[in-house]
Amino acid sequence: MRTIFYTTFICVILLCVNAASVLAQQRQVTGLVTDAEGITLPGVTIVVKGTATRTVSDVKGSYTINAPGGATLVFTFIGMQSREIVVGAQQSKLDVTLQNATRDLNDVVVVGYGVTKKRDVTGSVGSIKGSDLNRVPSGNVDQLLQGKIAGVQVMAPSGQPGAGATIRVRGYGSRSDANALVVIDGIPLGDAGDIKQVNPDDIESIEVLKDASSSAIYGSRGANGVILITTRKGKSGQARITLNALTTVSTLGNKLDVFRDPVEFATINNESRINGGEAPQYVGQKIGDFYYPSVAELRGIDPSKPKWPYYTDWAKLVYRNPVSQSYTLTADGGNDKTIYAISGNYYNEQGLAIKNGYEKYVGRVNLEQKLKSNVTAGINVISTWTKNYGQGLSVDRNIIFPALNDDGSYFHIGSNDYGNPLQIANEVLNQSKTIDLLSSAFVSWDIIKGLNLRSRISNAYGNSISDNYQPRDATGTGYQFQGFGQLSNYSSNHLIIENFLTYDRDFGKNHHINFVAGTSYENTNVRTSLIQGQGFVNDILKNENLAGATTYVVANNLTRTVLESYYGRFNYSLFNRYLFTFTARTDGSSKFGDNNKYAFFPTGAVAWKVNEEAFMKNIPQVSELKLRGSYGLVGNQGISPYQSLSLLGSYKYFTDGGFQTGYGPPFFNDGTNVNGKVFNGLGNKSLKWETTRQLDLGVDIGLFDQRFTISADYYYKHTTDLLRLNQIALSSGYSVIQINDGVIDNKGFELGVNAQILQGELSWNVGGNLSINRNKVLNIGGGNSIEDTGVIEAIRAPLNYFINGQPANVFVGYMFDGINQVDGNISPVDNAVQKAGDIKYLAGGPLPVGQNGEYIIGNPNPKFTYSLNTSLKYHRFDFSAQVYGVQGNDIFNFSKFTPSAQLQRWTPDNPSNVYPSVNSTRVNYASTWYVQDGSFLRIQNVNLGYNFKPNALKGISNLRVYFSGNNLYTFTKFNPSYDPEVGENGQFGGNYRKPRAYSLGLNVTF
Amino acid sequence: MKKLKYIALILAATSFTACRKQLEEKPYGFLSTANFYKTEADANSALIYAYSILPDLDYYSRNFITLTEAPTENMEIAAGKSADNVLLDKLAATSVNGTLRPGFQLPYVGANRANLVITYVPGITTMSEAARNEIVGEAYTLRALHYFNLVRLFGAVPMHLEPVDDPSKTNLPKSSIKDIYDQIISDLTKAQGMMDQVRHVGRINQVGAWGLLSKVYLTLASAKDTGSPGYDFVTNADDMYAKAKEYASKVVNDQTVYGLDPNLVDIYDVNKKNGPEHLLDASADRTGTNEGLYSKLPKMFMPNLNFKLPNKVFVPGGFNEFLTEAALYNSFDNSDKRKTQLIISTIYDVGAGNSPFVGTPQNLSITDAYTRPFSNKYNDSGWQAGDQTSCNTPILRFSDILLVYAEACGPTLEGYNAIKAIRTRAGLGDLPPNLTVKQFRDAVLQERSWELCFEGQRLFDLRRTHNMENILVNKYGKTITGDAYFFPIPQSEVDRNPNLNN
Repeated sequence: MRTIFYTTFICVILLCVNAASVLAQQRQVTGLVTDAEGITLPGVTIVVKGTATRTVSDVKGSYTINAPGGATLVFTFIGMQSREIVVGAQQSKLDVTLQNATRDLNDVVVVGYGVTKKRDVTGSVGSIKGSDLNRVPSGNVDQLLQGKIAGVQVMAPSGQPGAGATIRVRGYGSRSDANALVVIDGIPLGDAGDIKQVNPDDIESIEVLKDASSSAIYGSRGANGVILITTRKGKSGQARITLNALTTVSTLGNKLDVFRDPVEFATINNESRINGGEAPQYVGQKIGDFYYPSVAELRGIDPSKPKWPYYTDWAKLVYRNPVSQSYTLTADGGNDKTIYAISGNYYNEQGLAIKNGYEKYVGRVNLEQKLKSNVTAGINVISTWTKNYGQGLSVDRNIIFPALNDDGSYFHIGSNDYGNPLQIANEVLNQSKTIDLLSSAFVSWDIIKGLNLRSRISNAYGNSISDNYQPRDATGTGYQFQGFGQLSNYSSNHLIIENFLTYDRDFGKNHHINFVAGTSYENTNVRTSLIQGQGFVNDILKNENLAGATTYVVANNLTRTVLESYYGRFNYSLFNRYLFTFTARTDGSSKFGDNNKYAFFPTGAVAWKVNEEAFMKNIPQVSELKLRGSYGLVGNQGISPYQSLSLLGSYKYFTDGGFQTGYGPPFFNDGTNVNGKVFNGLGNKSLKWETTRQLDLGVDIGLFDQRFTISADYYYKHTTDLLRLNQIALSSGYSVIQINDGVIDNKGFELGVNAQILQGELSWNVGGNLSINRNKVLNIGGGNSIEDTGVIEAIRAPLNYFINGQPANVFVGYMFDGINQVDGNISPVDNAVQKAGDIKYLAGGPLPVGQNGEYIIGNPNPKFTYSLNTSLKYHRFDFSAQVYGVQGNDIFNFSKFTPSAQLQRWTPDNPSNVYPSVNSTRVNYASTWYVQDGSFLRIQNVNLGYNFKPNALKGISNLRVYFSGNNLYTFTKFNPSYDPEVGENGQFGGNYRKPRAYSLGLNVTF
Repeated sequence: MKKLKYIALILAATSFTACRKQLEEKPYGFLSTANFYKTEADANSALIYAYSILPDLDYYSRNFITLTEAPTENMEIAAGKSADNVLLDKLAATSVNGTLRPGFQLPYVGANRANLVITYVPGITTMSEAARNEIVGEAYTLRALHYFNLVRLFGAVPMHLEPVDDPSKTNLPKSSIKDIYDQIISDLTKAQGMMDQVRHVGRINQVGAWGLLSKVYLTLASAKDTGSPGYDFVTNADDMYAKAKEYASKVVNDQTVYGLDPNLVDIYDVNKKNGPEHLLDASADRTGTNEGLYSKLPKMFMPNLNFKLPNKVFVPGGFNEFLTEAALYNSFDNSDKRKTQLIISTIYDVGAGNSPFVGTPQNLSITDAYTRPFSNKYNDSGWQAGDQTSCNTPILRFSDILLVYAEACGPTLEGYNAIKAIRTRAGLGDLPPNLTVKQFRDAVLQERSWELCFEGQRLFDLRRTHNMENILVNKYGKTITGDAYFFPIPQSEVDRNPNLNN
């Protein structure tokens, strides 16, 4: 052994000496190495092919190397495609541009408390670079993830500026909190849904930890997946200023389905009231003091009256083509001791509805300083300010009457009308402002070779103030209370102290060990307060002087939670072929009951890099073939604090001339909970976390130096001890208690493919992903079914249920059996005598819910979701496009009987079997009549860009302009008047419309 | 080696000695049984909390009226309104009926709150015995009221006599109807000896406990007497009539705090809540911040129009759900003031804005499908706007107990005098003399229907006198599906209480 070592040593020395003697006879070649965007690249290795002559580019990206004319220089750099260039006979200057590698196995991915090389990942981690996010206006990051990562479903039904989204990683596995955990630069922030704190332009990468092995490092918060967002850092050896600007014009994405003819509107309204046993309104009469014209008058054929002069096109008054803007200015760079990145973003998104918008400022500083050769310290601060104002406005209002009176005041239809959208837009105050401050500081110490200790203290502060005022004349609530004002405050502070050791070392050629072990302490305080005033002298001051109200509601609350954790991950690689990972975390949470304070979550993973085996060396086309498997336990502690304690509430009673305050159990919550009123406060000392056991089997295949890659995963998630509010015996005097009960399974398949079809001057890339998830409620505890929400007024019953053996959230109701063509049928639903034109129901279904035997009438869970993307590059042009699709989900469409459908209603002359008659007093029930296929395929994004030649303009090293179109077209069988994207429960009732957006973008680097 | 020492030091400093204490929760803004029930103020507050369930919309400010009036000939649920209420109206409620559910649950919420007072207040030594007794006595009375409601609505049900303070205590088996009545009588007997006769609006005192006890005995007496289902256990109807008379007599003859209000409309005047008839009301006030603190009950009766009442009060649109039935309306003598004064048959257009000007009158027809004459018993003369009214729901009224007295006495002079007082006030003549016991008691029952309509009494009166079929089916042609005498226990209780039938 020793002999071999010496031999090698001597050979190397000899080579060097030999090389040196050759060098003396050669001339120098110098140049600059840049990437495709013209950014200089320090640290590029340059070798004279076939020799040992090598050098490395300096911090400014320039290099000097001795090479003879005609020699070939090889440029290599991590993450870039290597290039070989022949030096011309007399050439002494050679500038080189390196292209990004298609998909380099040396890429690092962030995995929580560390990074790992992509090729060494054992679990299932989805990853996207910030530069691959669509350039579209979006107030939060969540929506940008739609269709980007297999297994991550993003539901964003609302097009309102600043609206959040629902993110499900590998299905719906919790009734209490199925949201993924969001971690920004190592700070565990909380639930996904509204990641507004990060400016998309600042994102370096987003990783999603999907399987048990990778998410277990976050223990009792990992069961629903973890989204890790990493912001950009400066690079040593550069100093640049970058401006990103995006201007967007939005339009209505769908053709509206509204009444456009007053005669039609009045005719149908009269018919509806007559069918409902009420007196028709549009007969040329006064009701109270208000005159309703007759249909003849509207037509202009009433000889005694002039033609009715009014018609209001509400969409024209309420909608607009808003212009939105986003600007980011970044300064970043560094040297061998310091790196920095400073950025500021202004974002202004205007809604389709007038007076509705969202504004945001994000500032960020990231700084790292090398204090000693083995000690680095740094800070990262992100501050975010947002303002959200206005609201969605209805365009379904009565078109017969004007919007304004002659004197400019708002027109009201009769005396109990509070629906004038112009008045709501102009007079209702609805605004909230938030401030978020994420800050963290760390010290990192390389103690001995391979061993590093990192101590980090982080704080996430969030504050919001909401203002609301409803004038007496503008809304029903305002009228009811004679002015209704509100001011609500929310502030949260989340402190995290972490210390973790990382050890990373090779032992000999065949063993590599990497482990992380650490502790963390998290303390979260959430404080809320609310002042509500009811009844004001006038509406002038809005909510500015709530003390002037007749009646107040005041509420304040504070919750404090503590999470104390120990975690570790041990990676072992044998022969660079067999990879083993063990990850575990112990969480002690204050939310858990006294009997269950600490939870332990162990997981393991193995991977086999088949392509590294000797027998694969003969198949060089296969650049990667890796089999992965993982299994383990992760948890979910998504409950509110104090659920394990018995609490007394307070309420009032009017006696002795005033309201007296009483205390006692249960305290009740008059909110929008299951079945309305909830009497709670009965504690459960045994309360604990949900446990998800997850198996993941995956394969990664790369061909032709990763030009073609496939990654596929099968998973099986088995979630037990579901946290849920259990409806308990009514006779207990309580409604609910938080318990652990119930089992939900999610099984699924994920596929990601990418093909670099053409490389070189014209490059063409095609990729896509597919997510299939099957969700099944195995045991919901208690009875065999639980309703998700309380009674929905429109159908007089709950709609979504959890039923043993069925997917989550299925719709429950009756079968639609056509339309009654004759009077006198008895409805099997409520035993009412039906009339011709009423919906005929089929009852007697197998479900033990509802009055008369209901059926499962729909499943809102998609069969699969998918996304395809392509990009083309030619010279300085680039083009990319993404489509996104959801297939096989049912939508319960509360808005199915649109005006155009009402025109096809059942009448004696039009004995429709599809649409019922119109009837103002009909009681509707959930039935298959409402259920529609919600599948869609959307042209999500099209992007066309042009990169100017670097340094083409003096002082500007890089300039790119691009056009981006978003939500361009949707293929669907759903009502074409709406966007078919719905939330998890599949209910559709007319969302804030999703705009179609056209953006012009500019990136400038100085 | 030195470095390793540092590492050890740092790790020791930065890790945590596993500290369970940090994970203990100290709830902010919540009291617990550990720090409450210490002072007289705590005791009062615990009692107030027990009372505060009464005017809940799921109890006396809506649901209870629906449950006890809709199935009878007094009131009909308008077409197109709550399907569950319509089924109740049609006497076809099943165990999944959504209106039965709060009807079952809320009395238990109230009983649990009363149980807390009964359990903890006797241990508060820092207050006078009299004050303690008053509070505990009221709590016993409230518990009795809740179980009296439960047993009359549902029959045999679980009976909690201790606070439910642990998940293990939530599921009790049913107690028999007999056991429940025994407990009610025991509670009320105990309570009436603990309380004084001081009046507080919305609270009960000794006189109220006597009245309630007389009603309990009358229920047992008449149910046994008429063979109403479920009351076989009562040994002797006459003994019970005698007990009913004994306690009703205390109310009628042995106190001076309560009496008949000479003016019918004044009974329901929100400005006269201290009037002589109110033994117990579910108290509400329009300055409250949510329904339950204020009452929306008036709107349930009123037409869905903007209009003015004869007293010029502007009504911003009723919910029009509770329609007066022709059966009741036509049963009144046309000169009966309870028809002419307590049922509104004429409303007025709003006129210009909300000014005091009263516009064109509109006569309401009892045969109209939607807009009918409606009860004037829930009508806030100080109604400002919106839904908030100060209307209390009467739970126990003097005239109710006077009629209990009459019924218990039978066709004696005392009995005739009692009913005469009621009829005279209503502008009616005397009952025919020399009625048989049955004729007299039937006449009292009829009188109760006129006197107490829309006040949550009629269903119980029909049930305890075994008259559900006689009156609702035979006389008024209704159809009863299922048990006429006890509602089914809600399915949600059946599903969640595994001990229910043990």
